[in-house]
Amino acid sequence: MPRKVIDAHRLAGPVPFDDLPTDPRPEMERLGIDSALVTHTIGLYSDPQAGNDALAQLTDPRLIPVPVVVPGVAGADVHAAGARLVRLCPQRHRFDLTGPIALRTLGDLGVPVAVDFEETSPAELRTLAGHLTELRMLVLNPGYRHLRALAELLAVAPNVWTEIGTVNTEGGVEWLAERFGAQRLVFGTGAPVLDDCGPRFLLDHLDLPPADVDLIAAGSLEGLLEGLPG
Amino acid sequence: MTLGMTRLLDAHGHVGSWPDFLIPDPSAEGLLAMMDRVGVTTMGISHLLAVGPDAVAGNRLAMEIARQHPGRFGVWQVYNPHHRTPLSSTDGSSDLWGVKIHPDVHRCRLDDPRYEPVWQLGQPVLAHGQTGSPWSDAEQFATVAARHPDVPLLMGHVGLFPDGFDRAVRLVADLPNVLLEVCGSKMTGRWLARLVGLAGADRVVFGSDACFLDLRIGVGRLLLAPLSDAERAAVGHHNLAQVLGLA
Repeated sequence: MPRKVIDAHRLAGPVPFDDLPTDPRPEMERLGIDSALVTHTIGLYSDPQAGNDALAQLTDPRLIPVPVVVPGVAGADVHAAGARLVRLCPQRHRFDLTGPIALRTLGDLGVPVAVDFEETSPAELRTLAGHLTELRMLVLNPGYRHLRALAELLAVAPNVWTEIGTVNTEGGVEWLAERFGAQRLVFGTGAPVLDDCGPRFLLDHLDLPPADVDLIAAGSLEGLLEGLPG
Repeated sequence: MTLGMTRLLDAHGHVGSWPDFLIPDPSAEGLLAMMDRVGVTTMGISHLLAVGPDAVAGNRLAMEIARQHPGRFGVWQVYNPHHRTPLSSTDGSSDLWGVKIHPDVHRCRLDDPRYEPVWQLGQPVLAHGQTGSPWSDAEQFATVAARHPDVPLLMGHVGLFPDGFDRAVRLVADLPNVLLEVCGSKMTGRWLARLVGLAGADRVVFGSDACFLDLRIGVGRLLLAPLSDAERAAVGHHNLAQVLGLA
């Protein structure tokens, strides 16, 4: 069992397409998740600025805010200035992740970024990582069907980490750990839209040394946020 | 968290590789080790070679695996409607659980008459289900289940996509021979509990889709979903055991 568990990918607030818990804390407590990096759904499914404002109202220290940033939109970086991680949604918010505005904004921001794999491509992330070599990136929701492409990205971009919650083909997490080390892998779920029960159980049953499990459960993410080498 | 049961049956498993993506460990031995690790007693498997281009060879491999590991694997023999795959009768063998069909891979609608030999055989059927698919939408499950009320029919993945779960439950609500099998990359513990609430614990069956998916994800979803012990036991054992006569 890991000593500490941080969910790197969690949502607070309502979603338009389902009736899901809006407060992540009861499920976190039930599943033994100590804290979580949280984006507000208003920021994803409505207005980024309003979502970031709602996020700022969450005062529980277990919920670490991850504001949404839309490059080039005035005011979007207000909360990001104090954030430890920001969320980019290039597909949802229709911007070019490797365009000049995004590159300039992210370069100036100096904060690690999280991007859903379904909103980008390995090639785009490779390009971004190549342009901004100091920018730390967390790939959210990588899924299980693109393991080879994800591996190629991790191999050439040392500033990229990946969430494991949806790496759910048989032995996929161990396969990545063997190649890139547990320090590049981060526990996260995408709950409540995506599942948290299965990934939480997986974390307790990884076929890895306890020190590696501790890294995946919390240490790798802390390293990413604190600027430690990946 | 307690399982509330002594035996965990997994209705939906596979052995073998698949062309769409990398499965780091597609072997029966790897699957068995993982079953031991997380407490799965027996898993119903189809070989992915059989789901793909060669049902005869894949079915033979699956039966060999089941024979090598008595009591650990049941076999869903795959029927390919284009190749008119010869099907085995059970002959009282507990290794053979029934017939697996995959309308989307075979590009043959679930309600197509070319599947008639499957229904005539009378064995339990596990069929891939996918909401909105021209081949395997829940509506087609309702159609064939009404035509063949004596054939137990497992709707694989409950249609796969959460936005179709509610509709899938409604479409088969009055067809008790349809069971909702819950594996899939989009399933959540919350939805699993919700399905039990909507359809009843006696209509939901646990499956993992391992080795296609990681067995630990599926088992964890069952064990950590907000269910009572009795509901968990029904989903994880009793319902499938009753269908297969393993009780």
